[in-house]
Amino acid sequence: MSQMPQRQSLQGNQACALGAIAAGCRLFAGYPITPSSEVAERMSKELPRVEGVFVQMEDEIASMAAVLGSSMGGVKSMTATSGPGFSLKQEHIGYAALAEVPCVIINVMRGGPSTGMPTRPAQGDVMQARWGTHGDHPIIVVTPSSVQEIYQLTIRAFNLSETYRVPVIVLYDEAIGHLVDTVELPDPDSIEIQDRKWASGPAEGYLPYAADEDGVPPMPRPGDGYRTHTTGLTHLETGFPTQVPADVSRVIGRLLDKIERNRDAIEQYELTNCDDAEILVVAFGITARSSERAVNLARESGIKVGLMRPLTLWPFPERKMKELAGQVRHVLVPEMNAGQLILEIERLCPDSVTVSGINRFDGLPIDPGEVLDKIKEISK
Amino acid sequence: MNKKATKKFRGFEIRLSGTGGQGLGLSGKMLAAALTSDGLHVAQSQSYEPTSRGGMSRSDLVVTEGIADYPLATALDYLLILDQRAMSISDGMIKKDAIVLVDEELVPDPPTGDFKVHALPLSKTAISLGNLRVTNVVSLGALIALANICSLATLEAAIERITPKKYARMNLDAVRAGYELVSS
Repeated sequence: MSQMPQRQSLQGNQACALGAIAAGCRLFAGYPITPSSEVAERMSKELPRVEGVFVQMEDEIASMAAVLGSSMGGVKSMTATSGPGFSLKQEHIGYAALAEVPCVIINVMRGGPSTGMPTRPAQGDVMQARWGTHGDHPIIVVTPSSVQEIYQLTIRAFNLSETYRVPVIVLYDEAIGHLVDTVELPDPDSIEIQDRKWASGPAEGYLPYAADEDGVPPMPRPGDGYRTHTTGLTHLETGFPTQVPADVSRVIGRLLDKIERNRDAIEQYELTNCDDAEILVVAFGITARSSERAVNLARESGIKVGLMRPLTLWPFPERKMKELAGQVRHVLVPEMNAGQLILEIERLCPDSVTVSGINRFDGLPIDPGEVLDKIKEISK
Repeated sequence: MNKKATKKFRGFEIRLSGTGGQGLGLSGKMLAAALTSDGLHVAQSQSYEPTSRGGMSRSDLVVTEGIADYPLATALDYLLILDQRAMSISDGMIKKDAIVLVDEELVPDPPTGDFKVHALPLSKTAISLGNLRVTNVVSLGALIALANICSLATLEAAIERITPKKYARMNLDAVRAGYELVSS
């Protein structure tokens, strides 16, 4: 990694590229799309310096396929995209979930649906990030709200992906992606990097999808002599297809359980002023920044309001949310969509708690004043 | 992680506005580099539109001591306007007692309100230096003299760091000429 001064002005998308390099990513395959293109641009400059590979593929489907192939070949790999490209990648994201291929997908959200508003921020892919590909599948979605955090969470995305062999999506809006901020990047040597488990032991009788105690099967390193088989069909521990109900139930159950049993290790959130809060704001991305300002201002006028900022959107920090819901009387969910995250919050709140939203899908960020006005209205 | 302290918003917000092609992104970057070298924290955002030339353009700086709670501009302390058509994008955002700097030719009808407007010959000064395109840098010099947000020496050093060598002299002349429009 090239030496950089610690304190610097850095754009969100470029911070993402630098985080990926720091995490050990050595292949980027993509198809540039606004507002994510700077991730690709920076990767095209950084990867050759670390003997990595940058490939611009013919489209998003092919780029996701190249990421999977490369990862199966033993290289930490990623792609970056936005709405229309994210839709195209879903097929192979599902393949990655089922075949347990570690990969990181950056989705910089713009106005949708369809081509929508390429240059405008939005947060409309909350549910697509969780359920964009078909069938029950494990997936992790992390969501940064600052340039510094894009760097950190991109590293974490690789670590989680390698540890659990699941696709990990880094989801942020155009406003954060294009923000240039003063950041202090950590010393690369101080960054904790996790690598995947490699298969060891006798090659004879090796089962590529036999999980260890932690529910994660080690991966066969190409060239180590293990025979393996990879397919998008539901498969047994051997890697070969099955439709036997009891077997399907076991293998799919294990896939889903990789997330469920590790929720405590995966879920992350940040709380501000929550200890005595009667009103709770739950927000992510640029909206979390507006909310932080609004909460601070509301506190100055004596309103007992706090902020919960999920850093993992999926799995959503469910236990903490339930605990806070038992303490507050109102939960406010501002988001730049017609109401997506609020569905998850409503599910986790008892009937005694009122849940309301602030929703915008006009291409403008929700500004702090809007959140503050709503907090004041609720507190009356 | 549990952050307890309610931190009061300190600092100021600057907007450089005009039309695409006037170099406002670059001058925003120069000013940010100067303020950052003074130890401040600067969040920069730009209008981001498919039009690269001729459309309305803005470059915003939110300047704080630590990381800003909200990094986008909401209430401007300092505003530069280099094109009449760019005035409306700051409607309702100019703070009381803000300093508004406009080009006296390009903005014949400056905003009015509870703030101080300075109309200066920014583009004319750039032309007298031999290049209309340094209006952005002339404006920066005038702005820091009016706003007193960083020293001329700090800004000059930042400009020198950012500018390719062959344009350094021109930009340094421009920033000084702008500064002297106010301070001489």
